Amino acid sequence: RPQKKIAGQRRVLDEATRQRRLTRQLEALEKDNFQDDPLSSLPPPGPTARLPAFSETEEPGKRKTRGDHFKQRFRKNFTALLEEENLSERPEPNYLSAAAPPSSLPPRHFCCVCGFPSHYTCSTCGGRYCSCKCLSTHRETRCLKWTL
Amino acid sequence: MATLVLDNGAYTAKIGYSLEKVSVIPNCQFRSKNSRLKTFTANQLDEIKDPSGLFYILPFQKGYLVNWDVQRKVWDHLFGKEMFKVDFADTSIIITEPYFNFTSIQESMNEILFEEYQFQSALRINGGSLSAHHCFHSKPSELCCLVVDSGFSFTHIAPYCRSKKLNHGIRRINVGGKLLTNHLKEIISYRQLHVMDETHVINQVKEDVCYVSQQFYKDMEIAQLRGEDNDLMRDYVLPDFSAIKKGFCKPREEMVFSGKYKTGEQILRLVNERFAVPETLFHPSDIGIQEMGIPEAIVDSVQSLPEEMQPHLYQNIVLTGGNMLFPGFRERLEAELRSLVPAHLPVSVLLPPNPVCHAWEGGKLLAHSPDFDEMVVTREEYEENGHCVCEDKFDI
Repeated sequence: RPQKKIAGQRRVLDEATRQRRLTRQLEALEKDNFQDDPLSSLPPPGPTARLPAFSETEEPGKRKTRGDHFKQRFRKNFTALLEEENLSERPEPNYLSAAAPPSSLPPRHFCCVCGFPSHYTCSTCGGRYCSCKCLSTHRETRCLKWTL
Repeated sequence: MATLVLDNGAYTAKIGYSLEKVSVIPNCQFRSKNSRLKTFTANQLDEIKDPSGLFYILPFQKGYLVNWDVQRKVWDHLFGKEMFKVDFADTSIIITEPYFNFTSIQESMNEILFEEYQFQSALRINGGSLSAHHCFHSKPSELCCLVVDSGFSFTHIAPYCRSKKLNHGIRRINVGGKLLTNHLKEIISYRQLHVMDETHVINQVKEDVCYVSQQFYKDMEIAQLRGEDNDLMRDYVLPDFSAIKKGFCKPREEMVFSGKYKTGEQILRLVNERFAVPETLFHPSDIGIQEMGIPEAIVDSVQSLPEEMQPHLYQNIVLTGGNMLFPGFRERLEAELRSLVPAHLPVSVLLPPNPVCHAWEGGKLLAHSPDFDEMVVTREEYEENGHCVCEDKFDI
């Protein structure tokens, strides 16, 4: 972890770490579920236990005519498909060029604890806060910990 | 021959025959904590008595169809005996896809529609193009129209001129309903109660209490007031799925402003969350997404187009998609555009009566238009020419 430690002072997260943290937060906002699949949390079946067939397993004799090639093409995730499109070499407009450019308006800042407009920046992690009370909550819960 | 219109969204499918009504059905599968072995498909969601901790299995990722196993399970269910009883050999399908859909997804779509289901004919089209068709159909004198489609995965701004899509004017903002629900979930979990597993419940909270503020900083001030002066504060009673089947806002007269409720209900207190969450559509940078908000992106899109089109586009902005249901959205967008667009150009933003099904309604109109037969690809044509004929005819 590339964190600067200045003698006698608090740790300060460098820009790259702050950026990584933001990226991770934004990725979390894209998730379909926070919890694990309830099916996967079942205890593994014992050697003699026989689980009833459930719909996830392909029904026998149905749509098995196609080769592996076909099947594989149907099992790619978004990133793989995007790479396969090779858009950087395709003419614009395309998926990549259609992304809205960055705003020309100045950024607005909100307290990361209570959500109200904030005037101060945490010197350790770069998070925003609005009052001493929120700063201490921030330090206790998120600043260098980031639990959620 | 019947025509089935399917607006295949990443969260809900809007489906129905062109002579009938539309149904809005979850386009996904679910698993619940209480019956872990069973997978529920689409509207079987209604069979789940306790949907707390509901687990979603979605066929889409970032707005693009990637999980065909799940999609086919949902379609099998929709097309099957229990629902639309599709007679494939005698049915034409209109199906929607996202803008700039990937080539491989388009090809898989052709294969599944023509080879697996064997529809008699198909028209693959962007959802926004159906909305634009709806718009030109109801107002034939309009030359241009700008569709703002804000759905589950993202928001698109798409200009059309004389029913032709202007691809280089399309802008995508990576903010949609899923991100808003996840963001609301995250801030509630941090500030008051752990609800990270409760996407289904918190999505309902979002739909019930969130709104688009007309004066953002003024509302922030009101939201900071204590007690009864704070008329933005809402206490939301969470469902327990036994006595309370669905969450709701406490009526104002029953709200307890200081101290605790004597009733045993579980309550969320929502104040700035109500308008700070939808605000992300207008300022994605508020949560660190470095993209323009909707008003700015509209101006960016229109300015990239020929000058003579610009007045017509600003005059005819149509809102579609689930996020348009936030109260105040239209008014706020119109006000912001008014301040961004040159004063001599009129600005008009239209909110259709049902923004979720606007594209579907457009598809229904298109199915009965005289050009429709020319637009579809029949199964014989596909079998003869393969993907090329689809690539030539469909404008995705």
